[in-house]
Amino acid sequence: MADTTTSAPRAHHGGGLNLRFWLPLTWLGLLILAALFAPWIAPHDPLAQDLLLERLPPFFLPGTEAGYWLGTDSLGRDVLSRMIYGARIALFVSLIAAVTTCVFGSALGLLAGFYGGWCDRVISRLVDIWMAFPPVLFAVLLVAVMGTGLTSVIAAIALIDWTRFARVVRAETLGQTRMDYVDSARIGGAQRLSTLLTEILPNVLPTIVALLTLEMGIAIIVEAILSFVNLSISTDDPTWGSMIAEGRNAIHFAWWVLLFPLIALFLSVLSFSVLGEGLKQRFDPVLQ
Amino acid sequence: MTGPTLDIQNLTVALPNGTPLLRDVSLRLQPGEVRALVGESGAGKSMIGKAVLGILPPKVRRTRGEILLQGQPLNALSPARRRREVAALSALIPQDPLTALNPLRKIGPQILDPLRRIHGWSNARARDRALELLERVQIRAPERVLDSYPHALSGGMRQRVLIAAAFAPSPRLIVADEPTTALDVTVQKEILRLIRELQQETGTAVLFVTHDMGVVAKISQQVTVLFAGKVMEDAPTAQIFTGAAHPYTRALIAATPSSADLTRPFSPVPSDLIGELHAQIAREDALRSEATR
Repeated sequence: MADTTTSAPRAHHGGGLNLRFWLPLTWLGLLILAALFAPWIAPHDPLAQDLLLERLPPFFLPGTEAGYWLGTDSLGRDVLSRMIYGARIALFVSLIAAVTTCVFGSALGLLAGFYGGWCDRVISRLVDIWMAFPPVLFAVLLVAVMGTGLTSVIAAIALIDWTRFARVVRAETLGQTRMDYVDSARIGGAQRLSTLLTEILPNVLPTIVALLTLEMGIAIIVEAILSFVNLSISTDDPTWGSMIAEGRNAIHFAWWVLLFPLIALFLSVLSFSVLGEGLKQRFDPVLQ
Repeated sequence: MTGPTLDIQNLTVALPNGTPLLRDVSLRLQPGEVRALVGESGAGKSMIGKAVLGILPPKVRRTRGEILLQGQPLNALSPARRRREVAALSALIPQDPLTALNPLRKIGPQILDPLRRIHGWSNARARDRALELLERVQIRAPERVLDSYPHALSGGMRQRVLIAAAFAPSPRLIVADEPTTALDVTVQKEILRLIRELQQETGTAVLFVTHDMGVVAKISQQVTVLFAGKVMEDAPTAQIFTGAAHPYTRALIAATPSSADLTRPFSPVPSDLIGELHAQIAREDALRSEATR
């Protein structure tokens, strides 16, 4: 009896979930492979300039040169190779920055929601104050103060975006803390901290995972924004943001320099947010 | 020990703004006794159980009075010590079996963890005890139940699991907080029978919170009638049904629908009686605040 009622919605749900789960996963998988094996996959050195081959169009347009699949930029550098190497930086930043942000923000959210009282008041006010800053200006300011470089970019993302985790996790924790099973655990002699870690955290985890994947997309965007305004790593290194910035100058006669990294950026961010949604549903205990 | 298992003396519990939720409540529970706490919604029935178990809602505070568990005044203990004592001596059968189990943890650890914590038992010993109790509450495949998640069990099964979990550490006191309210009628009977049987076998004292006078008649020896957080009457069950002293108790019994006589019209507790009681309690509150000023 119990079996039929619980398996029915799962089967029903699985059908709709699959594409939304596997499409983003495929794109991100490709991206990870590209990042890991960039030196072997990339057809050219991403930094090699060849002014004789500048602004070659992509393979499907006339006047192209064999081996330069997505064309070259104004300095004759291969766009595809630069995008593949750019995936390294994009993924590295998104992973490290999102995890840092997630751990920091979620911890504060859990504490605020669970302990309440002055702990909650201090953290909630801090979140309010923090969110009053315009995020992009804040990021630019932070990186300008800390100096350019990947570490600064990651630190800036974590310092700006922890509020997203803190707010949502706090609300979720607040709801879970009032559940009866938390009382039951307390009556059973569980200590406060262990109640938080064994009873509440697993129930908040689906939300945290969903936010984490979302944050990875956001981190890619922030990194691209900072590259765009030249505040990420040195301009020599290929990042999607700097490619977009350079492509912008040549948009009228070499649109491919701007468009392809933009598509990669768009697909990655989209994949992360769709994956987050899918993961949240997959983790939902009621749908399991 | 011959003293009462639970002795509540002049307990007053209030919101931060001073509104009392329990007013000067005193009651005793002898070893092996079942005491029913009855009253309408908001009368403070559950609040008494929560105060004893130390799970009052945030911001609700005990402002006066004493709770003695096995003769030990709980309020004199440090919070950590109090939690250990309460865990060792008492257990809860909750109102809603659907929310009383963590949906993301298997049943096994949820029952075994308290046993290991309270008694320092090994995993194997706690498991044996849990299996013994699960069999006792007529769960057919106890091994499998320990290994499953709560959503795989029906409401009635979950409540039986929770009864097994409550009796497993051999507590002296069990607070049963409307344990049948969330279940359908056929399951209710079964759950009541199990609680009564286990209570008689183990000699555990039970504080049985309910609003159902039919349940009261079946399970309890003593009854405490509450209204607006104040004890209206405290008497043996037989006396409550045959010759209740307080008009509110009599009205409450008269309002209970009877399956023996379905033609009898429904008679709710008269609103003028309720109004009169509220007025009286308001006067007493005013007098008390005068006196403390």
